Amino acid sequence: MSDAAVTVEHVSKKFRMYQERNDSLKSAVMNRKKSVHEDFWALKDVSFEVPHGQTFGLIGKNGSGKSTLLKCLAKILWPESGEITARGKQASLLEVGSGFHPELTGRENVFLNGSILGMSRKEVTRKFDDIVSFSGVGHFIDQPVKNYSSGMYVRLGFSVAIAVTPDILVVDEVLSVGDATFQKRCRDKFAEMKADGRTVILVSHSMGTVRDMCDQVAWLDRGELQVVGPAKRVIDAYTSTV
Amino acid sequence: MTYLNDLISSRELLVNLTAREVKGKYRRTVFGQLWSLINPLATMVIYTIVYSFIFKARIEVGNPSGLNVYPLWLMCGLLPWMFFRHVLNAGMTSIVSNGSLIKKVYFPRMNLPLAAVGSFGFTFLIEMGVLLIALAAFGSFIWPWLPLVAVSIVLLAMFATGLGLMLAIVNVHFRDMQHLVSIALQMWMYLTPIIYPLTLVEEAAQKVNKPWILDLYKVNPMERFTTVFRNFLYDNTWPDWTDMLYIVVAAFASLALGYFIFSRNEKRLAEML
Repeated sequence: MSDAAVTVEHVSKKFRMYQERNDSLKSAVMNRKKSVHEDFWALKDVSFEVPHGQTFGLIGKNGSGKSTLLKCLAKILWPESGEITARGKQASLLEVGSGFHPELTGRENVFLNGSILGMSRKEVTRKFDDIVSFSGVGHFIDQPVKNYSSGMYVRLGFSVAIAVTPDILVVDEVLSVGDATFQKRCRDKFAEMKADGRTVILVSHSMGTVRDMCDQVAWLDRGELQVVGPAKRVIDAYTSTV
Repeated sequence: MTYLNDLISSRELLVNLTAREVKGKYRRTVFGQLWSLINPLATMVIYTIVYSFIFKARIEVGNPSGLNVYPLWLMCGLLPWMFFRHVLNAGMTSIVSNGSLIKKVYFPRMNLPLAAVGSFGFTFLIEMGVLLIALAAFGSFIWPWLPLVAVSIVLLAMFATGLGLMLAIVNVHFRDMQHLVSIALQMWMYLTPIIYPLTLVEEAAQKVNKPWILDLYKVNPMERFTTVFRNFLYDNTWPDWTDMLYIVVAAFASLALGYFIFSRNEKRLAEML
């Protein structure tokens, strides 16, 4: 039981859909009554385990709750009920380059972003050359990032995130960034992480990617867990419904 | 207490976020960090012309320092006030303006308002440094009071931080807050003896024979802070112990309440934004 990297137990997440929302003081005072809302359950009683050292995929249609679950795993959202236990250092990569300040240089942003992702200054200094060479931004590293091409921007963001070397990495559809060369490098990097015994949890719509990379897959539909199991079986079951 | 541990272990992030604020603010300006000095200087000139020359505001003589300079007297109250105002404004908007970051990465959210405090604290310290030099040049014997000035700065920062943390949460729910607060701050400034001396209020209360007006006036913690800062910097004397006690209580109460409210709401921030 406890050898799983991440345990998800009976997780439910509710959002409020407001018909009338008191988000200004005036409406709060004038309406008096509580704001009108309907509950929407984005996740309903989801439970599964992610074993150590495996790559775990989450699949499902749009609006099936994949991203909500991923955000719960990343501690951005907190489930209404249930519990998520992660054993080991966890990092999440829901968007690359979040927290970049456009006026600061690439170098300054690497340090800033590194610390947002939980790295110490020493750690970033040690890995700095790797980060820069992996991103391929070269001598642009001392330019403000607002002058970067969008590709350079995401590549640098991705390189910082990947340098965190967590035990558990939570990734959202970010493999689609960069050109083919960079994508290949990313895939190699994920293979390397797996070889090091790290756990990766990812969301993707590309069944090809999921099939290539994942050992285990969970299929969500309208907030409910349909199947969880070996990648090929679950993907086949999923694709047969589409 | 686990939240506090989380916060402490992310102190490097706080330093980096503060540096981002400080560096980002004056990027691509010719004068850079100098702007943070030009701003209060300009305010000083304006207020001195309007209140000292036009309105002939009474100049308070520092006792026992003997100082008799309106701009210096003004700045001893105005600089702490400006720091307070900036922290409140920046702390309040720090969550809403960093929404994209909050929705994408987990880190203790309190770092954002705290970074606002840090970045304005940094400029405040520079401003205070310049003021200290000016005071010394005009004959204020400030050096023995410096440790107490430092304590007062910390207390003021605590007081402002607490309010900033509360407002940050309120502002997520009600965006009107920022507009309301800017008006409230304007009124608050005029209810605080920054550009006019407290003795004017005392005399006015005496004249109409209603001493409770003064008591009510002195409920305002910023009045106490202003008086304490002036006591140390301009007068070079011990403040009234009730003033000192008042600001200590205000600082701790504000910070405790702000911390409590913020940490209780922090988990829901990502979906509230």
